[in-house]
Parts: sequence; structure tokens; C-alpha cells
Amino acid sequence: MTQVLKIKNNTFILHPLSVIFWEQKSMLIISDVHLGKVSHFRKFGAAVPQKAIQKNFDLMTEAIEYFKPETICFLGDLFHSSINKEWQLFEKWIIEQNLEFILVEGNHDIISPLRYEKLGVKVVPEIQSDGFLLTHHPEDRAGFFNFSGHIHPAVRLRGAGRQTLRLPCFFQKENQMIVPAFGQFTGSHSLTPSKKDKIFAVTKEAVFEVEV
Amino acid sequence: MTRDQLYEVAENWFEEQNWKPFAFQKKTWKAFLQGKHGLLNAPTGSGKTYALWFPIILDYIKKNSDYRDKHKKGLKAIWITPLRALSQEIKQSAERVAHDLGTQMTVGIRSGDTTAKERAQQKKKMPDLLITTPESLHLLLATKGYPKIFKDCSAIVVDEWHELLGTKRGVQMELGLSRLRALSKNIRIWGISATIGNLDQARQVLLGPDSEALEKSVLIKANLKKKITVKSIIPKEMETFPWRGHLGLRLLEEVIPIINNSKTTLLFTNTRSQCEIWFQKILEKHPEYAGEIAMHHGSINKETRVWVENAIRNESLKAVVCTSSLDLGVDFAPVETVIQIGGPKGIARFLQRAGRSGHRPGKESVIYFLPTHAIELVEASALQQAVKQKAVEDRMPYLNSYDVLLQYLTTLAISEGFYPNEIFKEIKQTFCYQAVSEDQWSWLLNFLVIGSQSLQSYDEYKKVEVEEDGRFKVNNRGVAMRHRFQIGTIVGDANLTVRYQKGGYIGTIEEYFISKLNQGDVFTFAGRNLEFIRIKEMQVHVRNSRKKTSKVPSWGGGRMTLSAQMSKLLREELYKVSLDKKEQSRELKSLAHIFKQQRVDSIVPKPDEFLIETFKTRDGYHHLFYPFEGRFVHEAMGSLLGYRISLLSPITFSLAFNDYGFEILSDQEIDMQQVIDNNLFTTDYMSSDLEKSLNSTEMARRKFRDIAVISGMVFTGYPNKGIKMRHLQSGSQLLFDVFRDYEDDNLLFQQAFTETFEHQLEEGRLRISLERIETQTIVWKQCAKPTPFSFPLITDRMSREKLSSEKLADRIKRMAAILSKK
Repeated sequence: MTQVLKIKNNTFILHPLSVIFWEQKSMLIISDVHLGKVSHFRKFGAAVPQKAIQKNFDLMTEAIEYFKPETICFLGDLFHSSINKEWQLFEKWIIEQNLEFILVEGNHDIISPLRYEKLGVKVVPEIQSDGFLLTHHPEDRAGFFNFSGHIHPAVRLRGAGRQTLRLPCFFQKENQMIVPAFGQFTGSHSLTPSKKDKIFAVTKEAVFEVEV
Repeated sequence: MTRDQLYEVAENWFEEQNWKPFAFQKKTWKAFLQGKHGLLNAPTGSGKTYALWFPIILDYIKKNSDYRDKHKKGLKAIWITPLRALSQEIKQSAERVAHDLGTQMTVGIRSGDTTAKERAQQKKKMPDLLITTPESLHLLLATKGYPKIFKDCSAIVVDEWHELLGTKRGVQMELGLSRLRALSKNIRIWGISATIGNLDQARQVLLGPDSEALEKSVLIKANLKKKITVKSIIPKEMETFPWRGHLGLRLLEEVIPIINNSKTTLLFTNTRSQCEIWFQKILEKHPEYAGEIAMHHGSINKETRVWVENAIRNESLKAVVCTSSLDLGVDFAPVETVIQIGGPKGIARFLQRAGRSGHRPGKESVIYFLPTHAIELVEASALQQAVKQKAVEDRMPYLNSYDVLLQYLTTLAISEGFYPNEIFKEIKQTFCYQAVSEDQWSWLLNFLVIGSQSLQSYDEYKKVEVEEDGRFKVNNRGVAMRHRFQIGTIVGDANLTVRYQKGGYIGTIEEYFISKLNQGDVFTFAGRNLEFIRIKEMQVHVRNSRKKTSKVPSWGGGRMTLSAQMSKLLREELYKVSLDKKEQSRELKSLAHIFKQQRVDSIVPKPDEFLIETFKTRDGYHHLFYPFEGRFVHEAMGSLLGYRISLLSPITFSLAFNDYGFEILSDQEIDMQQVIDNNLFTTDYMSSDLEKSLNSTEMARRKFRDIAVISGMVFTGYPNKGIKMRHLQSGSQLLFDVFRDYEDDNLLFQQAFTETFEHQLEEGRLRISLERIETQTIVWKQCAKPTPFSFPLITDRMSREKLSSEKLADRIKRMAAILSKK
């Protein structure tokens, strides 16, 4: 179950896989995949399950099959660390897709842009298009609506009987949308919204708008 | 020298001091010199150190007739103490005996406080007698050439074994012993333990079940008679005494005359924050005590603690507010009186604390009990009974702690490397790993070498390597270095050191607390008001402040539960309420008005009754149950019952529990008649129901944190070096989820659940209490308003557990995001 948003006459679909589809551009937005993180830990002697590596690729493929986009835009932190063998899996996966790829650089992206370019992945500091600004770090820039990642947002919900629940979320402010982290081996950070914000909580099956 | 001549040497020494050896001391000497292993059951301050230092030194004299002129180098005996603070005291006794008997034996300490220089010197030339901790022993096993160090070691003594037993440090000790036994064929293993319920098992765990050592061992009991008097402080105005609370400050003034009438008084609190608050409040109300009272807890720097300990000995202090940090160890002769603030939860702990006063053979120990809320007086009454009956609890040892084993194997791999067949035989002889199968063993080896159970391409896992001759070895310096920092089984929250900006170490504090402070905030720590300046390289910089504050750091851990023995006594006391007044203690009589109110609103249950109360408030529908079994059992029973209720109809609720009962709070009303009619308290399918209750996953998640750190899955950084190693830090929470989703047959993941069921939920006790409830009549009271019994539970906003059987979507619809206050 997805959520459809209209922003500045453009249509955006929020999907439970923690991705956004920008209909007018046929662009799939994915943030904070942190590829290579599992391998990085294993290299340093922490035996994180290997199966979590493949899952990232499987889920990305699933999202692509669902929306059939022309372009994939990664909002930064695509690769967690310096290069390791997960890069080879990434190469293989990219070649299979036959789509246009853009990486908006994040603080974790320390792998040389040349390597990405060789694979046909364009590396840019940011994207400006039709009044929309795509960056890794959230930004307020006059005249733009900003899509960003970096934060790995989550929200805490409260109900009667003193119940609480914590879920990853899409966090929308007046001129900004922070996208939840896509990676399987990433944590999240709880944000406290104010009345003006909109929160879309993510569960395995659906994206819900939460009462604020 | 013959054995008789050796005893004479010992007895002469005692005579020179004008002392007479106790029977248990002589028995221990004899057994030791006969080559036996053993467990000595003796309390602190009874002369237990001389019971074992003597035969160790006599044994050396026996083997080296030229001991007066010649000195045979090399380590001869190891003394393990769980608290490094005790090592100085133990060293002094050992040195005294070694010197007085004319040997040239040397005594050394090796612990976390030992400088790198000293450690290097020790490695070149080991002292004859080494005093150390379980962790430092393992660090020795992590150094190259360790087998040579232990080759001629003839004895190892594990002091305060009861403190280690039932913890993972105890498991670590078992492993250390298993290695030493293999390295030194003639080593004698001795333990010293205070009285616990399962002394025989304690000996078994120390020496290994079915071992030759156990067969050749003795259990020696000191059997010293000690008179203990318990006095409860009963509030003068009982009617206004609160029904809930945990600080007890209301009775502060009652403490003052007690302090004044005694040379030195120790005030035991249950938590470090309570300790800080009491210290501060006493000084605030009675500034005349300035300089005469002090504070002692585990997070204060070592120098201050040592200063306080010495000041107690010099009789320069009137009172010390402390935590369990003063439970153990050294003799404080001037302590005349002990005050326990709030329930001690266990009888052994209470007796231990009482024993801190009148700390001389033959003297009476006096302990005052100060209740923090009214119902706690029932506990006081039960404690009186406990002391009379000497009902002491068991310490349950761990089984199959894979995390500690993985750490140990890595330790061996970074020094000399190990051959699996050899080590497997050794660990199979320990109590903890007696049941480990060959399959589990090879799982663990695979985990260390390939980080999984099957080799994958693209994998770069690196930790332990297998060399050509089959030896398991760590060759990567980074892995070895990180591992050395992680040796140990006590996992705290990330701790930061607190320093003055201009220098001067004050203590350690949990990161969680500091993360909530802003620059300029003032908080109380180590009895001072400190202004928070900044965090720099894992250090908190502060300056003194005159501002008043109510912020006191809280330290995690340490939520204690009533022991089975204590719960039973507590129930028996409560049942007396329905009996003749003559049967009731002073404490119970003082609660008459509360029981009267309880009878108006509900009932006070009799032995054959099980009470359930329900009522509604603004918070929702409250459902209260009173098994009186201690918080851990209540947590388990609450989860179990909650799960079974949720099978009747979809429901979401939260659980609160304390030592007396538990509460299920929901936004819907539970049909209690259905709960009773369907016999939801049955023991049928108990284990599988418990496993399915969502709650057990949450509890296992918390257990997993320690497991992840101990097994080396999570790296905690180099706290003292101020290096955080962010890129290698992942929350254990995240790791737990990844295991759950991708590798739920992982032994470490499963261990989290086993520990939850065996140690946290106390499955065994749960079954017994459910069986008891089955024999009782259930009395369901629909009350108009909260009752006295329910009050401490419904106002507990801290320890809520949640459970839901509703669809996530349905729940979210009825919830709202927590808003920022700005």
C-alpha cells in the first residue's frame, strides 16, 4: 500500500520499501543504501550475516520491477566504506539493470567517482530540476522543495494505555522531504515532529500517514 | 619438614600475634597440605585469608628446605578476587606471613589498575604469589608464552566465589581454571564463598562436575556464630507515609540520631543515584556533618574511594552513604551500625550488609531497615523472619554461554593459538560447557574462522586463521589489539570520564545521561554540583557550580528482584494480616490503616486466595494481579497471561510489574470472567506460549546486547584512548534484527532467548507459582478506584513492557506521533 503526494503539481509515490517514485521524471529515489557495510564489518572480525548483503540488491530489484523507472537516483551514502568485494556485486547488479543511474554524493561516498563513471553511474553533488532540489544532507534553499536522506528518520508513536511504537518514516516539512534509509543493515534516528510536519510511517506492508 | 612441624610453624605464628587459629583454619591447612582441592565457606572478616595463605606458603617451605637462604623463582600461587579494591588488603596479609615465616617470597598485584611498566616487569619476573581478577587472568592467557608462566603454579584460590558464581565472570573463571589445570598438573584449586543456598553446587562448578578434582575435594564450613539484630524504622505518622516511592527521604530525620549514637554508620542504598541524592540531602539538612560524612559508589574515582575506605578505618567519618560497592571485602572495625534504605531484595545481601557492622568475631551486628514506601514494611517484617531462619538463596550458574567461550577461544588464538581437540576436552570438563555437542563446537569454530557456516565467494571475513598444522591462530594485529580491549564479561553502557576542565578526574558517567544535557546545565555527581561544559574525546568537561539542581545521573542495570525464598516469606507475612494481631510483627501492625483501606476497596488475600483487581482511570482500563513472587516472575507471568488474553481477542496493552504483582493496562476492557473460565493460569503449553509472547523477543533483544559485546560482534571502542572507531560501531539492536531476519539459527542469537527464559523470566519459578495459583481460589474484585495495593503499580511509568496482537495498521490508526515541545 503506497501513498501518493502532490507537490508543486508533480506526483510522488511513497512505497513501503522506503523509496519514492517521481512520476513526471520516471525517477526512482533511493537513499542511504550503505552497500558494503556488512562486508566492512566482516572484514574487521564481526560476523554479520552474509545474507543481508544480497537482500539489498533483491529489494532494489523489487522496487525497480514495481515502478519500471527510467532513472534511479541514489540520495547519497550508497557505499558505506572504502571499496571491498561488495563492489563487484554492485557492478554485476548495475550492468543487469540497463537504466540511467545518478548518485548524489553523501558523506560516506568516498569511493572515486571515476569508478562510478566507468559503470555509467553519474556522480553529482546535487540535482536541481523544476523547482526541486535533491541532496544528501537536508537543506533549506529559497524557491526549492528539497528531497534528502542522511538522517535515517524514524518516528515514535503514542497511543492510549501508554503504548508506544517506533517506525522508520518519510518526514515531510513545508519545503522538504527526508527519505528513510533503504539499507538492510542501517539504524534509524527518531525525530520529533511539530504540528506543521507530515509523517508517513513505514511498515513492511504499507506507508501510513500518521496523525501529528 | 613433616606436616606436624609445618602446623607448628603456623600455630607459633598465631601465638606470637596472641591469636588462636579457628578450627576451620586448621582444617583447611590440613586438607591443602594433603593435596586436596576444596571450597571454604567462611564470611568476610573471619580470617579466611590466613586459612589459605598459610598452607600455600607452608607447602613452599616443605618443598624447599633451604627456603631461608635460597629463593626459587617463578609463579607459585594465584589469588583471584572479584574486586580489585580488595587486593591491597590481601597482599598485606600474604606479605606478612611470607616475611614472618622467613621466606623470600614476593607478592604482586595485577589488575586493571596496574601500570603498563609494572606489568612488563612482572612478565619478565613473575612474583611468587599473584593477586589478580578473572579478567586480568584472561589477559595473561592472551600473552605470548603464557604456558611457561603457569607451569609450576601449585595453587589457585578464588575468593568471594559466591559473587562470581551465577555471573558470566564465573563462567570466565571456569574457563581459566580449565586451562590452568592442563598447564600445571599439580595445581590445587580452592574457592572461598559466603553462605549461599547451593554450596555443594558451587564446589561442583569450581572444580568441574564428575572431575577427579571434585572427588579429591572437601567442603569446609567455618560455622561462626553471629548475632544479627534487625530494627525497622517505622514512621511516626504512618497515615501520611506515602504508598509509593523509592527514595525514602521522608524518613531522613529518623536516621540522624542513629548516626549520632554510633561510631561509624554505613547507609546502604540500592542505586548509585539514590546514593548521590541521600548524601546531598543529609548535608543540605545537616550542614554540621560537612567533612564527617562521605559517599562511596562504583562510579566514583578510585582515589576517592580508597580515601573513604581509609577514613572509615581511621574512624574519621561519622557516616558513609554507599551502594553494593561496600558489600564486599575489607574489615571496617569502627562500623557499629548499618542502615539499609529500601528493600535489599535478597536475604544473602541483607545478611552480608548486616555483617559489615560489629565486624569482630563474637560481636553483635545491628542493621536498621528504612522503608521507602508503606508496603515495604511488609518486606521488613519478612526480613526479620529471614534472619531468624537463615533462609539464604541459591546462585544459579550459567550453562552454554557461547559468547564467553568465543571470547576465550579468541583470547587463546591471539597468544599461542590452540588446537581444537585439546581445548574441546578441557572445556567439556567445565560445568558450563559439559553439554556442548561436537556439532555446536564445530559451529563455534566455523564462526571464528569463516564467520558463518558455509564459505561464500566475495567474503572477506577475517578473524581466526587455521594454520597448516591445524592450529587456530589470530595473525592480524588489528584483530588482536581490539580483542585485548574487549576481554571481560561486564558490559556497561558507553561510559564517559568526568573531568574538571583544568584537569582532575572525578569519575565515570553513562553516555545516555550526558546526551540529555545542554551546555551550562548543572548536575549532581560525586556529591558535587557540576556545570556541564562540553564533551571532548569521550571526556566530559565540567566546572564546579553553586547553582542548585535536581539533575542526578541514573546508572543503568541493577534492577533487582525478590529471591524465591524472600517472596515466600513475604507472602507468609502478608497472610498473617488476616490472623490474630498477636501473630503480627510491629511492622505489620503499623500498616493497619492501609490494610483497612485495602479491605474497604477490595480484600487482603488469605493463603488460599489469588487476588485480581480491575478498575478504570483516565489512563485506561487497569487489570491487576498479585502473585507476590518478585518482579522477574511477574514480568514472565504478565507476558504469558497477556499473550493468552490476546488470543481471545485482538488487544494492545502495556505491562507494569513490581515485586508484589503486575498490571495489564489497555485502552480496552479485558473480559476477566473469560480469563478465569478459560483457565489462563494453566501450566499447559507454558514454555511455548511464553516463547510466542512478543515480549520475550524484546527481552532477548536486551540480553543480546551483552552477548554481542562479549562475543566480539560489537566493538565498543577504546574508551580510555578517546578513540571511538565509529565506522565499526553498530548497535547491537540492529545486529539482533539482522540475525532475526537472516540467521535465526545462530547460536548467539539463540543464546539471547535461552538466557531470557532461564535467567530473566525464571521459567522454573514461574511454573511453581502457576501451580500454586491453580490450587488457590481466584477472587476478582471490580473496584471503584485504585486500591492501596495497586497504587505503586499503576503509578510506575518507567518499566512498561508492550504487547500487541492487533494488526499494525489498526494500531497506528489509533496512535499519534509524539510532538516536540518547542
